[in-house]
Parts: sequence; C-alpha cells; structure tokens
Amino acid sequence: MQQYVTLKIDNARVKAVKGASVLDAAMASGLCIPHLCYVPVLKASGACRLCIVEVVDNGRTKITASCTLNAEDGMVIYSNTERIRKLRKNIAELLVAQAPNSRAVQDIAVRCGVKEVRYPFRNDNCIQCGRCVSYCTEYSKANSLGFVGRGKNRHVEYPLGFRRDLCKKCGFCTEYCPMSVTPCGGPMKAGEGRLCGNCDSQIAAMEHFSGICVRCELGKGFKCVRQTYV
Amino acid sequence: MIMTALNSILKGRRSQPHLLIEVLQDAQDLYGYIPEEAMNAVSRELGVPLMKVYRVACFYKAFSLKPRGKYVFTVCTGTACHVRGANLLLDQVKGQLNIEPGETTEDGLVTIENVNCVGACALGPVVIQDGAYCHHMTPGKLRKAIDKSRGKKKKERAHA
Repeated sequence: MQQYVTLKIDNARVKAVKGASVLDAAMASGLCIPHLCYVPVLKASGACRLCIVEVVDNGRTKITASCTLNAEDGMVIYSNTERIRKLRKNIAELLVAQAPNSRAVQDIAVRCGVKEVRYPFRNDNCIQCGRCVSYCTEYSKANSLGFVGRGKNRHVEYPLGFRRDLCKKCGFCTEYCPMSVTPCGGPMKAGEGRLCGNCDSQIAAMEHFSGICVRCELGKGFKCVRQTYV
Repeated sequence: MIMTALNSILKGRRSQPHLLIEVLQDAQDLYGYIPEEAMNAVSRELGVPLMKVYRVACFYKAFSLKPRGKYVFTVCTGTACHVRGANLLLDQVKGQLNIEPGETTEDGLVTIENVNCVGACALGPVVIQDGAYCHHMTPGKLRKAIDKSRGKKKKERAHA
C-alpha cells in the first residue's frame, strides 16, 4: 500500500506519495515551481538551482533546491516569497549570461522576472544542467556522455574525446537539451543585456497576475513537466 | 606488452568497480601516464563504464593522459611557495626549456608540472624531482638540476 505524507506548500495542504520530492508534490497539485534541469523520469541532480524553496524548520527558514528535497510529514514550504524571488531571479540571470542563445533559458528567466541581465555574456551554449548526461547514463544506459574536468573547465564530453561508437544514437540528449530550443525573434547580444521584445508582454502579464504560468513553450522539444499539468 | 603488465595489476581486482582509483594509480606508476588501451582494459575488466574511467582519470591531477618525460619536475605553487618565489622557478623553466607547465620537452626527457601544495610549506619553495623533495629551491639550482638530468641522458646516448 502506498503511504502518503501531508505537507504545506505556500499555505496549501498538499498530499504526496512518501518518497516523492517537494517539487514532484508541488507539480502534481498544480503549484508551479520554476525548474530547468529536472526531468521526471530521471534522478534529480539539483544542478540548475532554479527550483529553490524556503523550508521552515524550527521557526527558521532554510533555502534549498526542492527537486532533491524529500517531502516529509508536516513540512512547511514557501516557494514564492520575496527572498526566494530575489535569489531565483539572480540565478536565472546567471543562466542567461552563461547561455543567452536559448529560448528555454530565456523563457525561464522571464518567468523568474528577469528584465535586464547585469552580467557579461559568456555565449557558452551550455549551462551544465546535466540533462543529457543523466539521460545517457540512467535511461538509455549508453554511458557515452559525461562531465569531464573540474572547476571552470568542467564540460560535457565523449570518453577520450572521440569515442562516439558508444552512443546508441537515441537522440534524446539533444531533445532534452535546453539549448535545442532555438532562440526567439530578438536574440540577445553580448553587451546589450536586454531580453527581446516578445518577452515584454509576458513580463507585463506577470506583473498583473503574479505567480501564473507564462506558458513558456518549454513543452516544445524541451519536455517541461508543467505542460502535463497546465 | 601493455596487456601483460596490466594483467598483473588487475590480478585479484577484476569486477570490483570500487578499486578503480587504485588500479589507475598502479597503471600511472607503471607507464608514467594512462594510455588509452589501459583505460579500455580497466573499463572492461572492472565493469566500470569507459566514461567513468575517463572522468576519474581527468579529474585527479595525479593521473596524466599524455605521455610524460623521463624526468618529472613538479613545482609547488602553493601559497607559501608562491610567496617565497615559486613563480620565479616557473619563469626559469619556461625560459630554459621553452615549455609551459604541464608540457613535456620535444625530446621526451623532461616534464614540468605545477601543483598547488605538497604539504611541505616550511621547506618552500619546493620542487619534486622524480619523487624526491628538493627544498629551498632557487632558479639557479633548478637550472643545474634540469641541465644535469638532460646532460646525463646525452652522455648515455654518446656511449651507446
């Protein structure tokens, strides 16, 4: 028999299967916490840190990623406080600065209230969310992709730099990659530090109805969990 | 040749993925670097994906994927050694051998590496010459040590 736990997310009582993460519980009950690296079928890695929430523990609040946080009975979670919004906006800004040419990252940033990027653009085209790596190792069991190097030299690579023959050619590494969603009409350029015009209307909507899902079109190719619940 | 030597390393360690680093360390000691064939063999024999072997070999500075020279000079560039002039040692090496730290000379004799601390700060600046710690190194002493190791090889060649 399945066991259930009851927790409070943003003052709403939420029932979740024991062992599920807080993010799972929130998504299942229609509460949307922004996230990027999380894929339902894969083990959560907590790489993008966008899904941070405040956990109240003994009267103190602690900030942690909700995708790697197990839901427990009597937990009190806040996902949309002033503090969280500020931190999440900063994280989104850093992600955009790392890889400005992705629609998925842009949309997530808009969702988190980013209007201007204060950091220099790196144009790296990889935010190291690890979606491709975890899909390759966990789901397709090909083990042909992985993180190599450490510190600022960490990057995704084939073993020995050329062993592509291990690849099963399932193509899901590109399908799950947020970079595979082509950027929208007004691509952001280094130095400009401004989101494109299309996103302005979405920001306006965000200001009128705070907390709504801005339909970031992530479902197209990027497989956002939100699309299944919206 | 690679396989026979590897067999002695792998003996009694097959199918035990947790011994990966141990095996790689032995391979590093044996060849002076980790050749591709060794990585393939280790992956196959220990039951560890090749990706994981490669990742571990890339992560630790103790492992080298490129062949190293016959004489390895490791310059410590930790805080204490840096304050005492480790950068002068690196400049000396760069000027003398015309290579950057981490590279090997064209004749495959000398490799220069830099590490961040070897735990002998009181002896700094420290240079490790083929496993022997040389304390209070100066650019002059280092130049002589490198000349000696290279010259010795040349003499050996002349005799042969």
